[in-house]
Amino acid sequence: MDRIIDISLPQLLLAFILILTAQGASFVYRLGLNRDIWIGTIRTVSQLFLMGYALTFIFGARNLWLTLGIFVVMVFSAIFIIRGRVKEKQIPYEIPTFLTMLSSYFLTALFVSWVVIGTTPWWEPRYFIPTAGMVIGNSMSALAISIERLFSQMRQQRDVVEMKLCLGANYKEASLDIFKGAVKAGMIPSINAMMGVGLVFIPGMMSGQILAGTDPLIAIRYQIVVMFMLVGSTAISTITVMHIIRRRCFGQSEELILTQ
Amino acid sequence: MSLPETNMRSLLEISDISFGYDKGSKPVLEHLDLDVRRGECIVIKGPSGGGKSTLLRLVCRLNIPLSGTILFKGKNIADIAPPALRSAVSYVSQIPQMTDASVRESLLLPFSFETGKGKPAPSDKQLEQMLDDFYLHGTNLDHSALKLSVGQRQRLSIMRSILTGPEMLLLDEPTSALDTESANMVFSIIERLNTEEGKTLMIVTHSDFQPSVPKARNFILRNGTFEQA
Repeated sequence: MDRIIDISLPQLLLAFILILTAQGASFVYRLGLNRDIWIGTIRTVSQLFLMGYALTFIFGARNLWLTLGIFVVMVFSAIFIIRGRVKEKQIPYEIPTFLTMLSSYFLTALFVSWVVIGTTPWWEPRYFIPTAGMVIGNSMSALAISIERLFSQMRQQRDVVEMKLCLGANYKEASLDIFKGAVKAGMIPSINAMMGVGLVFIPGMMSGQILAGTDPLIAIRYQIVVMFMLVGSTAISTITVMHIIRRRCFGQSEELILTQ
Repeated sequence: MSLPETNMRSLLEISDISFGYDKGSKPVLEHLDLDVRRGECIVIKGPSGGGKSTLLRLVCRLNIPLSGTILFKGKNIADIAPPALRSAVSYVSQIPQMTDASVRESLLLPFSFETGKGKPAPSDKQLEQMLDDFYLHGTNLDHSALKLSVGQRQRLSIMRSILTGPEMLLLDEPTSALDTESANMVFSIIERLNTEEGKTLMIVTHSDFQPSVPKARNFILRNGTFEQA
């Protein structure tokens, strides 16, 4: 079978039965999830349709600035999601995080689509945008975990950090354990994903390619590139952001300014 | 790093220092002056919230004053690299802080930092001798520092602070969390550090501690200013 089977509208509605099952379960067991399931369903359908039309337009237009514009909007949305997850009021972290995400994700997406896959032009939207999307989606979660961990540990271990400062440590030495812990917390999920891929789960992208008729041996190559890309981009962005934010937790005299 | 000494008279000169946590609120310290000469033992007493601990934190730049200057050996502490300043003027906090490490690792921690790497680390034998001097007889260097009592940890943290040879020691309520026996041991160590080793000390306390050392000077800090002791 090498032809894609199109899903017609009636077939799509048939899949809706699965949502009705979840609704029924929520109703019978009084889970209180009916409203959320409706909202989730409507958002899934509308957002994905919108994305489908937008991608059709973008792929057709093949415009460099439009492609880059979409990339910036994606990163911008990601920083808003991170802001929602990290409840930090004292230390401004959003702008350096945004700029780091923008540059590191751009370089990763560029490297993968242009150098590894070898697309021409380098910004070919059919490759560049999905690649960037995967990088942003994955690293965004890692960054949120790392940022949250850094701030919470810096507050929790405030006395230990000050003790080390008082013994002559510079701010990097005084917060080294916290820094390492925060970076590791962000990186572990993508490393764990490398352990389980192909054994515990078949990744969404690979499943999609196989369903679309791609030879599994080609699909796995793409998936390998994606897994490496996610680990690499997570490492680069997390370490860079942690360096910048950690410095912001200390003042000019390397005194800890993060209050309880 | 050893800092050059330009003023032989005062080791530390605090001039017209004011500090407040929030703009608009009443300052914690107001126009404070204090000169500390080498070898002195300055004891600052006063009620809680009077700014005693804050003063010590300003001297090692854990907090930054709103106005005024602090000179260490004639040099503005704002112009001294913070790690160099803090290894020369060592601050010991009220609650002794230890990491999850052995007694040996805890004591040698300052030697793992850039400022301590060039300094000769003491041998196990020297550490054991010092543990005896600090009333920590029989403490095994391989045991976890976290398993020691608060009093033992306080003595260990003072010992750790002097291992790299600071010129001045800032002790913030060193006995507030201790029972009488442990407190007396710490007082005895403080007196010995000043008289026998010539360490310049600044001690903040609200206990009745009165060190029997010849170079002691007493101050009372109330509502952010010094009162005659």
